[in-house]
Amino acid sequence: MSPDFRKDLIGTIPSLRAFAISLSQNTDKADDLVQETLVKAWDKQSSFQLGTNLKAWLFTILRNEFYSQMRKRGREVQDSDGTITAGVATQPQQHGALDLKDFRAALERLPEDQREAIILIGASGFSYEEAAEICGCAVGTIKSRVSRARSRLQEILHIEDEGDFGPDSITAQVLGTTSV
Amino acid sequence: MSSDKTQNADTRKNTHDAGDLGVNSQIGRKLKQYYDDLVSDDVPDRFTELLARLDKGVAKPAEPKD
Repeated sequence: MSPDFRKDLIGTIPSLRAFAISLSQNTDKADDLVQETLVKAWDKQSSFQLGTNLKAWLFTILRNEFYSQMRKRGREVQDSDGTITAGVATQPQQHGALDLKDFRAALERLPEDQREAIILIGASGFSYEEAAEICGCAVGTIKSRVSRARSRLQEILHIEDEGDFGPDSITAQVLGTTSV
Repeated sequence: MSSDKTQNADTRKNTHDAGDLGVNSQIGRKLKQYYDDLVSDDVPDRFTELLARLDKGVAKPAEPKD
């Protein structure tokens, strides 16, 4: 019985859902995840500390739920009916004209840990510290995942580096494949 | 390793972390666009209904069966 809590929950649903879709790459699964998260959050609301970050708390619950479902399902491949998979265009256009569809497909090719990291940092607006807490890992781990995600995306999308690494994408690919 | 960078000039920009995902980077911009798209989706009614039910103390809907 806490109208505020309920209202706050409702307020976070859009971003929870966006995060769930980013993770699962499938709207139906995402909606189930959100539902589970809301139920869990409701049950555990007494353990939520007022004044702390509700969104981070919910993201943590959702993420745990995602990974535990994935484990349960024995890591079935999460190719979402092929709907979003479509495939990355081999020749993206010139700078600045990157297509959202290609981007989505590229994002989908990232390992989950990298995808979630880059989403949390680059899109959901969390700090590295918050993201580390959500993912239950060290800040440095988040940083390196984001960094790998970013280079991987650039590689997939043939985006030349925008200044901070220097070598062109071919060099980056070579380095990437030989050194890891 | 990681000395793959030529030691000439240009690497001094200290990318203190993951590199820039800000609006100036193409990846950063697309990421935002991708996500904002999702956020602005309509929220299915089932969620507000669910919360209303929970609020009333009504038993939760059956767990998703699988």
